[in-house]
Amino acid sequence: MLRLIKCEFWKLKRKRFVQLVVAAAFLFPIPLTYLCMHWPTIQAHCSTQAEVFDMMWQSVLGYGIQLLLPCILGIVAALLFFSERDNDTFKSLRTVPVSSTALVLAKVAMLFLFSTIFCVASTLVSVGCGLVAFEVQGIGYKLWMSIKMGVYITAGTLPLVAIVVFFSKSYIFSILLCVFYSVLNDVGTFVMGALPKAIVYLLPVPLTTLWGATDMQQHMAIGDADDLRAFAGLVPSEATVILILTGMAVISVAIMALLYKRRGE
Amino acid sequence: MNEMIVETTNLTKCYGAQKSVEALNIHVRRGRIYGLLGRNGAGKTTTMKMLLGLTKATAGEAKIFGKPIGTSEREILPHVGSLIESPGFYPNLTGTENLKIFAELRRIKKKDAIQNALELVGLPYRDKKLYAQYSLGMKQRLAIALAVMHNPDLLILDEPINGLDPIGIAEVRAFIRELCDAQGKTILISSHILPEIALLADDIGIIDKGRLLEEESLAALEEKNGKYIRFLVSDAAKAAQVLLQTFKTQNFKVENNHTLRLLDTTLPVAAINRCFVENGIDVSDAHVFEDTLEDYFKKVTGGVGIA
Repeated sequence: MLRLIKCEFWKLKRKRFVQLVVAAAFLFPIPLTYLCMHWPTIQAHCSTQAEVFDMMWQSVLGYGIQLLLPCILGIVAALLFFSERDNDTFKSLRTVPVSSTALVLAKVAMLFLFSTIFCVASTLVSVGCGLVAFEVQGIGYKLWMSIKMGVYITAGTLPLVAIVVFFSKSYIFSILLCVFYSVLNDVGTFVMGALPKAIVYLLPVPLTTLWGATDMQQHMAIGDADDLRAFAGLVPSEATVILILTGMAVISVAIMALLYKRRGE
Repeated sequence: MNEMIVETTNLTKCYGAQKSVEALNIHVRRGRIYGLLGRNGAGKTTTMKMLLGLTKATAGEAKIFGKPIGTSEREILPHVGSLIESPGFYPNLTGTENLKIFAELRRIKKKDAIQNALELVGLPYRDKKLYAQYSLGMKQRLAIALAVMHNPDLLILDEPINGLDPIGIAEVRAFIRELCDAQGKTILISSHILPEIALLADDIGIIDKGRLLEEESLAALEEKNGKYIRFLVSDAAKAAQVLLQTFKTQNFKVENNHTLRLLDTTLPVAAINRCFVENGIDVSDAHVFEDTLEDYFKKVTGGVGIA
């Protein structure tokens, strides 16, 4: 499996999107830092500069990791999964032999690696901005939380990847599908109080938001502590989050492997 | 040397109601070049795909190295090199980088394996040119390099000379022959270009509409199709005696009671004819035949030429 993952990396040589993924990590921290520095409401709401930074980082988590990451993952997935189809290399891999399942697992592992890179980069850029503009505390927790959030969001995005592989259409279609999925998840987060528990738990962003906000409340100042009390009955434990997302990931990978195998013939 | 490296038994592939390959029985012997000859769409690629486990057979069985491909893929494929249809590589990588991926996946330990494979096909090692910038001939050469890089015992090559220029064709032909003669590789090669198969193959299988019509050694096919004089006579056995005694030749074949095929075409037809008549043998026809392999192909497939 490690060989396959290594080869997946080699295949990406001279492709710009690796740099773009890292560049995307800069998209939210810099403007949000500027906003937090100059928005009086935020300054008035927080008693210390460390709290301002915590709020800024939470926003990075919300916009960058929960909103932008599913979109990035969908696009990266399309590039990874369409690579064999576009270049007609599947037959060469099959005669090595490399099984469809192993190939799908290697590509899924790549998605997890990309999301980890993105999340760590996002938090490191936020910390960098925070060190310049605010006061930074709890770097270790923030890094660990962003990695976990990235891994969970990736697992929750795998059903979207399975849909992308199923349709196996153009890149534009896949990007549109990713944007739709991201917006759907965000809408789900805004109206989760009105949704049945099963729906909320099946959408990765509302699910991780509920768990993440509760977890962060125990470690740092959060802006919407009062709002969180309204969802007390809905908040899942981390074990529940892991169980649901693992289930979604396993089913999605199985579907992708099946699709790959069928198309290989 | 008669050990079968590839053997199929009633191998069949159907796509819906259409039979792409039907009850195919081919036999590829160790250390030989087997040419699978057929028109476009005859079922050559489908056969090769089944042999490589790229598509499942609807019925029948394919054995490679004596093991069924369906259940022993992991044992068989590391010893097989293949090129199926057009070459497929990653366009953003160079030829060397593309081969590096497959060398890694095949766990090739030999450090100069990539360099050797590229040199064999006449491509530069560590060249900066990306695969996307390759000409069709270079792409084909790289695909052949991939097929031979891991030093396989069996090569399955589907139309390997497609896209090559005449010099390239001669080079590829020479190194395929070399792989077989010097290294003892077994090679299954398909083509719709008959002269190529005739120049390269030791054994030939003629496939048409998914069915194997003939499987012979090239020597046997040439014997069937060389230049000869056919005599239609009243008594072929008696005519044979005349040829033996008067013309001191054994280079003929009695096909039936009235047909004799004289393979030594240097003998004078008029003199033989006269001698037959003098010995009381009626000659109703004496005709010089010169069939090419293409003529034979037409005859066997019951149609027009191959290309």
